Amino acid sequence: MLSVRPVLPSLLRSLPSILSRHKSHIDKSSVPRLDQADLQEKVTLGSGPGGQAVNKTANAVFLKHLPTGLWVKCHQTRSVEMNRKIAKQLLVIKLDNLVNGENSVENQKKTNEKIKLERKKEKTRLKYEQRKLESLKEQSEGQDGEIS
Amino acid sequence: MSFLMSRALARLVCGHHRHSVLSVRTCSTQTPDSSTHPTLSQVLDNVTSQLSAAQVPEPALSAQYLLSCCLLPQADLHSARPVLAQDWRQAPAQHLSPAQATTLHRLVQCRLARMPVQYILGNWDFHNITIQVRPPVFIPRPETEQLVDLVLSSLPPPVPGQHLHLLEVGPGSGAVSLAILSARQDLLVTCVERSQAAVELTRDNTSLLGLVDRLEVVQGKVEPGAQLEGLHEEYHLVFSNPPYILRKDLMALEPEISLYEDLRALDGGAKGLDVILPIIELAGEKLPKGGLLMLEVDPCHPHILPTKLESLDTSMVVDRVVEDFTGKERFMVLRKT
Repeated sequence: MLSVRPVLPSLLRSLPSILSRHKSHIDKSSVPRLDQADLQEKVTLGSGPGGQAVNKTANAVFLKHLPTGLWVKCHQTRSVEMNRKIAKQLLVIKLDNLVNGENSVENQKKTNEKIKLERKKEKTRLKYEQRKLESLKEQSEGQDGEIS
Repeated sequence: MSFLMSRALARLVCGHHRHSVLSVRTCSTQTPDSSTHPTLSQVLDNVTSQLSAAQVPEPALSAQYLLSCCLLPQADLHSARPVLAQDWRQAPAQHLSPAQATTLHRLVQCRLARMPVQYILGNWDFHNITIQVRPPVFIPRPETEQLVDLVLSSLPPPVPGQHLHLLEVGPGSGAVSLAILSARQDLLVTCVERSQAAVELTRDNTSLLGLVDRLEVVQGKVEPGAQLEGLHEEYHLVFSNPPYILRKDLMALEPEISLYEDLRALDGGAKGLDVILPIIELAGEKLPKGGLLMLEVDPCHPHILPTKLESLDTSMVVDRVVEDFTGKERFMVLRKT
């Protein structure tokens, strides 16, 4: 007679602690704010008269946070204003990661993704275990009609 | 005249927009060598070297834009799909098809002839929008994006059911007005433009962005004593990026500008004020008391304009001067008293 260890109930008991960590809420309260006075911005337009007298396609924005020395360079779009906006966003992310470590918005998101992935793996494992149990049950019933 | 020659050159070499595309054989150039099948990375290096050897400005960046452009499906060329320099990086080991190589060859010839990258691509980004550009209409400069924010930041908050009427002098491609209209739904703009080509391009871009019901273009020249038809009695605010280059500086412009762009969009006369002063007078007539005129100017104008204003019969006074992001005094705000 096969002895089937009660694997499933113990797994069911540990599920709530895994699931309770499911929170897509990101705490943005400690994201640092950029003070204009702390920023040094340079737009790669070169020297010269500028304005109507020049037509250049280069519009990379270099933005530096003076107190920390962190900097970003953005050349993602063909618009200077867009590049400046994006540069500021990128700098905030960098500063957030430096100041808040694992509690930065970016790292919180990474942690949430990890938890999501773990939950998925757990779900798959449970399903597999359940199927295994059911097939063992059928086998033992088929043998002698009893469940132990 | 170099202006007409450049237009002919543009049609011949680039087959721009409404003109038919001529085959490569009719150009006085070599046909591309397809026997070696270089990768995209190698093509990029080749084009960069070619442009650099010909002393074309921004050779590496131009090469990236041209390569990205030739990788587009044929139908997208000259449409307003933004061509970003980094598109090609997705597959650096890829090879160009014969059709793409032919297109690239044609684009490189245009750039060797110093055609601005923006005209070759047919579209460009400005502030929060993408617009079509074509010669000889003036290509919007990055500094002018700040004029958009200057105007927007000076407007009162929108009131439901109410519209604000603004006036722009010299829209060119329509970039500034269209960026402003895209940012706020309660604005209506009238543009006055002297160039027929610019009137057409502004109207095309207005259609492209779905703003036909909020922007009207009036053809006319703002000059002393001009009687412009089609303008409202009053506007909440007037703005302009008028021709402001001083005549002496006009000679020093790079070929990208002097050969391809309408110099009437740049030439401000001896002191760069030939168009600015009539605009100030027009603003004085069309603004309510306290109304603002916002201008992009040459950095010398904040110093010479105040004295000139005294000799004008106008109620407009200088309110403030604003620097651009390179630290130059680029914008002037005038107020009606």
